[in-house]
Amino acid sequence: MPVQSRSEAQQRTDEIHAFQRELQDLERRGILALTAEQRRALESHHGALLAEFARQFDVDRDAQAKQLSWGMRIASLAGALALGASVFFLFYQFWGRFSTTLQVAILIAAALGSFAATAWIQRRDGSGYFTKLAAMVAFVCFVLNVAMLGQIFDITPSDKALVPWAAFALLLAYACDARLLLGAGILCAIAFVGARTGTFSGAYWLDFGERPENFFPAAALLFAVPQLVRHERFPGFAQTYRVFALLTLYLPMLVLANWGQLSYLDFDPGLVKGGYQIGGFLASGLLAWLGVRRGWAHVVNTSVTFFLIFLYTKFFDWWWDWMPKYLFFFLLGLTAVLFLLVLRRLRAR
Amino acid sequence: MNWSRRHIFALGAALIVATNAVALLGVAYNRSGTPDSELRLSQRELRPPFQWGLQRENSGLSLTLVWRAGEPYGSSAAWLDRAKLTELGFDLSRPVATPAGRRYYAKLRSREVYLVLELDGSPYQAALDAARERAEKRKAEALAHPGDARLKMQADFAENQLFHEEHEASRLFAIDAGLDAGALRAKYADRSRYAIVRGRVRPALEGDGARVDGYITAVINDSVNVPLDMRKAFEGVTPRSYGFGPRYAGPTIEATVAFGRRFEPWLVGVARKP
Repeated sequence: MPVQSRSEAQQRTDEIHAFQRELQDLERRGILALTAEQRRALESHHGALLAEFARQFDVDRDAQAKQLSWGMRIASLAGALALGASVFFLFYQFWGRFSTTLQVAILIAAALGSFAATAWIQRRDGSGYFTKLAAMVAFVCFVLNVAMLGQIFDITPSDKALVPWAAFALLLAYACDARLLLGAGILCAIAFVGARTGTFSGAYWLDFGERPENFFPAAALLFAVPQLVRHERFPGFAQTYRVFALLTLYLPMLVLANWGQLSYLDFDPGLVKGGYQIGGFLASGLLAWLGVRRGWAHVVNTSVTFFLIFLYTKFFDWWWDWMPKYLFFFLLGLTAVLFLLVLRRLRAR
Repeated sequence: MNWSRRHIFALGAALIVATNAVALLGVAYNRSGTPDSELRLSQRELRPPFQWGLQRENSGLSLTLVWRAGEPYGSSAAWLDRAKLTELGFDLSRPVATPAGRRYYAKLRSREVYLVLELDGSPYQAALDAARERAEKRKAEALAHPGDARLKMQADFAENQLFHEEHEASRLFAIDAGLDAGALRAKYADRSRYAIVRGRVRPALEGDGARVDGYITAVINDSVNVPLDMRKAFEGVTPRSYGFGPRYAGPTIEATVAFGRRFEPWLVGVARKP
């Protein structure tokens, strides 16, 4: 099967190294012995594959290279954010000195130019770090482009601006295998769906954050994306969608579990609060179970984390004021131990 | 780059071009034909930004449209009553005096409506008259009790308020709201005196939850960008608010602001007045 992304190449490289280690172990124990011809063929095949992966995708060949890669990844993330901010403030510092026509020309040229630069860098950058950095700058330039056009021409603010931003971020994310941009695109999509949901009740779009329930449709849509669209070629993307979906579900629930008056539901705020507390426990419990069933570790981890948060906020409500603090924290510790025991049993199945 | 990547990047470039085209066509549409209204405003109605924080690094200039609804700078007005709020689409049929009613009204959120802004009309005259009356009354009280420092201070403050109202305060008042811009324009036909803008209105419980009043949350397009060729006229114009601090000593300007087909404003011209 042809390898098309750096992540896939890295995964195949790791698998080959694991296979080689296991083969050595089997030979040492005398369980398996390859003929000289078989060994040559295998080594030649693996050697060619590894050389091709290294040439085309600049994969990490050993553990040390992997550690360095983590450093590069962090530097790439920090660099992308810092360069994005730099582009924004550069324009902010000088845009007033240009005529309106020049301002518009610079904004469009910056968006197109940074996008073209991303394409150019991607052709030369096997590692992908510089491509991701350039892609982030291209996204910031496009956001700046649209936002500044709004300011220059006093255009009415609209949630529709979130659509091209989301589309552009997702396009860059898929083209450059960049999860940071996938996150940016997902956030724009969440804001747009949330705003649209809010306007259904006749409210102004910017008020959508006042009703946390507006985020629930976005959570459902995000959770459905990796079920409907296969993401084998994009390692980590399906997980990113699901984690964002869970955050989009749990965070509003957590807010409503503490401030019931923010709900659409026309009941007593105490009742709404209690409902969302129970809902939070049920949702996080069910989704943790689903995660275990499907082998989605990220869903299990996120859900268990929120189950504990729901539980601890409830403990805080009940006990913080009257219970001695040593006892309060002791009970928190005990619940954590209980959780560990439950999870261990689930793992053992 | 393989075939599909070439197409992905072509799609991205098309997205950038299309987004800019849509935005710029919208601007062209807004500014086409005769403006919906054209007001001659001064530095009283167009406030430059306060120079603090990141604003100090901003080389551009955007003026804020300073509008008023009530006294002295409130966002609620007598005309924005229960009947008007109902006309604007709010369901106010529920009783206020019950816990469920109070909960319902507290949850109501703002709606987008059209607002009518009147320049230098009767609401401004009423505010000016009220400031004059207050200043005269305070001055008379201070004169009647020459040794009373508190009355002297109140008289000085009222005098400053009057100066502010006469020379510094905005003369732009929100006087009406509706859901049909055409109907509002038919009612307020003078395009050099009445501007129709997009705004947000919200009901709120007032008087310890005994009644429902409305207030204007915002004028949505309350920012007016100053192009480079008009920047010079605004040199020395400083932001003022509420009549506190030293009196305004900057230049007087007259800026023509047009509101287009989409009710988005832009600066048509500006001149310094002697």
